[in-house]
Amino acid sequence: MSPSLFFHLVLLETKKLMSYRVDFWITMLVALVVNLVILWALWQAIFAESGKELIGGWDLNGILAYGVMVFLTGRIVRGGDLQMTVATDIYDGSLSRYLLYPRHYPFVKYAQQVGNILPDLFQSLLMGLVAIPLLGISTTTDVSPMSLLMAIPSILVAHLLFFLMSLTPQYIAFWADNVWSLSVMLRFVTMLLGGAMLPLTLFPESIQDGLRWLPFSYLFEFPTLVALGKIGFVQWYQGICYCLLWSLLMGLLSIPVWRRGDLRYTGVGI
Amino acid sequence: MIRYLRLYLQFLKFSFSRSLEYRMDFWFRIVMDCMFYLVQLVFFTILYQHTDLLGGWNYDQILIFVSGFLVIDAIHMTVFSNNMWWIPILVNKGDLDYYVVRPVSSLFFLSLRDFAANSFLNLLIASGILCWSILRYPEELGTSNLIWFLFLLINGAFLHYVLQMYFQIPVFWTHTNRGLITAFFSATKLMERPDKIYPIWTRRILMTVFPTLLVIALPSRILFEGPDPWLIFWVLGVTACSFLGMRAFWNLGLRHYSSASS
Repeated sequence: MSPSLFFHLVLLETKKLMSYRVDFWITMLVALVVNLVILWALWQAIFAESGKELIGGWDLNGILAYGVMVFLTGRIVRGGDLQMTVATDIYDGSLSRYLLYPRHYPFVKYAQQVGNILPDLFQSLLMGLVAIPLLGISTTTDVSPMSLLMAIPSILVAHLLFFLMSLTPQYIAFWADNVWSLSVMLRFVTMLLGGAMLPLTLFPESIQDGLRWLPFSYLFEFPTLVALGKIGFVQWYQGICYCLLWSLLMGLLSIPVWRRGDLRYTGVGI
Repeated sequence: MIRYLRLYLQFLKFSFSRSLEYRMDFWFRIVMDCMFYLVQLVFFTILYQHTDLLGGWNYDQILIFVSGFLVIDAIHMTVFSNNMWWIPILVNKGDLDYYVVRPVSSLFFLSLRDFAANSFLNLLIASGILCWSILRYPEELGTSNLIWFLFLLINGAFLHYVLQMYFQIPVFWTHTNRGLITAFFSATKLMERPDKIYPIWTRRILMTVFPTLLVIALPSRILFEGPDPWLIFWVLGVTACSFLGMRAFWNLGLRHYSSASS
């Protein structure tokens, strides 16, 4: 796909999303405020009741910064509301339109997905600038302009990985009557095992060891740790490479499913 | 009343036969909800690896609290969730006409007509988890505590529905309430944590203005600390006021409803 077409699709999707501006801001503001309230109350209580100064290698301000940052990066990685569009295209027959285009369907969808995250990226940056300074200084994080810069490619590859991971469950729509529950299931699993609900250092050692062999930590924990300055340059470079490798694997996995599904597809009205 | 009960039985029959037509979705949804239950239990189990108490509750108590919340979620998914999904669509397409002209309450009909039979199995699973967490509780839980807890649990499920309706009804004016509904689901996360972790002012807001703590946190407190008449009166009073307010809001919305075909 040519870059100009890719960016054109990105822009179209962004414009479409911004046509419901009130929805866009309400969703973000309420989610951020609720998350801040819960995060602060929960960790304040845990630190007070356990009497510990460090939990899983984090002090109170550090874990709050993690919570805010993982919330902001997580929104971008998950890419808004596009998770069900592939299945919807299959169900309502709009896939037929894409099959006639001279571009491969997943690339068009990916361009739309990127368009969908651009406003989120801007919003998250804005909210991060407001929220992070309010949390106070932590001895367990080291946020710097360099760490924030390094976080941007980490978030983008994590987003690519999440998109490719979501693709195969969506293709099941060629066979199943409804795959919404599969997408939600994927979300539950990735949120917990990817570190979106809790830093993975809080998990028991044996589970942490197992999670290192799985792609989930690259989705949420990795970009967050990079942004918080907890990942060195070499580790960051390795992390990006692993994430791209997992993306490649997920992409390859989706190809045979697409091919088989495509053979079964009957467009509405055709 | 009998007429409404008979009507509800018809809804149940129809929902069960329809859900069995989509068997794959039936099983997917069951697995999805089980995954949700597992994630919630694992989340608190990991937290309790690092502390003995949270909001004054130990691990055995938090298990009952979480299981109670899972039961409420399952009731919501079974009884109300599908219906909530349809309300904005019916309003925007003008299909509400068919329900407004029927000789039964439109609020009753639209809130209860679609019973999610697949989620009903999850309700049984969630109830099983609750029974297990109560049976493994090491101390004696009084019978009256238990009865009040179960009663307030059902009340909590009803209150959850009422609160969601406040976020649904604006669709009569706004035409899209997607942002509001997402905001509602974000806000309900507040009820998934013990009440005592919140500072006093937040707790007051969450017991009056947006009473999410009355859904499961306070019923759990009544189970562990015994029935406090004032607290029970408060929970039931706020639920009744919220329901009456919601019904008035619904009627106001209906008055503003202009059918798409007119």
